[in-house]
Amino acid sequence: MTEKEQLDILEEWLKLYKGLIFKVVRAYTVADHDDLFQEIIIQVWHSIPAFRQEASVTTWLYRIALNTAIKWTKKEKKYTGAETLDHVQHLLQENRIQIDERLTWLYGEIYKLDEIDRSVFLLLLEGFSYKEMSAMLGISESNVGVKINRIKKQLIAKSKNYDNHGIR
Amino acid sequence: MEFDEMKKIWDAQNSRPLYTLDEKALHNRIQSKMNCTLRLTGMREWLLILINLGAGGILIGFNRFKPGTNIFLYLEAAWMFATVVYFIVYRIRRIKASRRFDRSIRGDLDHSISLVTYQIRTSEFIRWNLPPMGAIMIFSGWEGGQLLKVSTLILASYTLSFYVVSKGIHADKKRKRSLQALKEKLETGM
Repeated sequence: MTEKEQLDILEEWLKLYKGLIFKVVRAYTVADHDDLFQEIIIQVWHSIPAFRQEASVTTWLYRIALNTAIKWTKKEKKYTGAETLDHVQHLLQENRIQIDERLTWLYGEIYKLDEIDRSVFLLLLEGFSYKEMSAMLGISESNVGVKINRIKKQLIAKSKNYDNHGIR
Repeated sequence: MEFDEMKKIWDAQNSRPLYTLDEKALHNRIQSKMNCTLRLTGMREWLLILINLGAGGILIGFNRFKPGTNIFLYLEAAWMFATVVYFIVYRIRRIKASRRFDRSIRGDLDHSISLVTYQIRTSEFIRWNLPPMGAIMIFSGWEGGQLLKVSTLILASYTLSFYVVSKGIHADKKRKRSLQALKEKLETGM
């Protein structure tokens, strides 16, 4: 595969699936949105020659995005500076006006989960089956189930304290 | 709020993207980062191989063309060539090993752990390679009759190298622990 073909595929995927990557970025970082986005795109670009269509593009992209984001969380704790905030203004602009407050709350709660639980819950919200999650995460379905039950209970309990829109 | 409601809120964002993206800026930044990443891939290994190969060659050349033969310089060169063989074998092993991980997130974590383990081993090898190499160099300086001046310089540079490599090992070990902790979180129900 030539570099040109690789870039064409990347542009195509970016056009169709950037929303998916935005969700992972929003769930995994507070300040470094564009840096994490950029890092995920680079990892996706590297992965393109290995993509064999055994999995759907969304599954493939989620796996790469989550794997990059999980490791990124460790970096963010080290690098939180004005420089990254500067990047946010240049690359990604948040559409604040259009965001549902409950969605902001949900993202806030997802961000409070640990890196692994965040990925499990994102996959659940995206409608992946236990079987698909098990394959993507590399853990058993029963383990996925245990994690999901625990996270669901935790978030439902927290939502009871949220009174805006009848939920805080 | 029940999970179904959360899911509805979540799905609603599909029609309202969270961000607007400056695609031109992204393209430029990615292009420059990719070029940089490609350049850096394997650079460390090649650098170590070339430095040892070059330094070994210079030592042999120096020993051949200067009056009198210093056996310790030959020994040092042989040690450096052996190091090159070690790095090449390790590089081949690392590339082969990178193909055996599955494409799940756990597989990727295993791969990252394996890579950082490889870096630690390489650095440990470099670190414990320094004292014998330093000793050989001091002996060669001794044989050449420049004990004090040469030994002090050699000792200082090898001590500094030892310190720098040790710091690198410490950082890699920390990174490995954090990756292992992630893997543990993934594998356990908690």
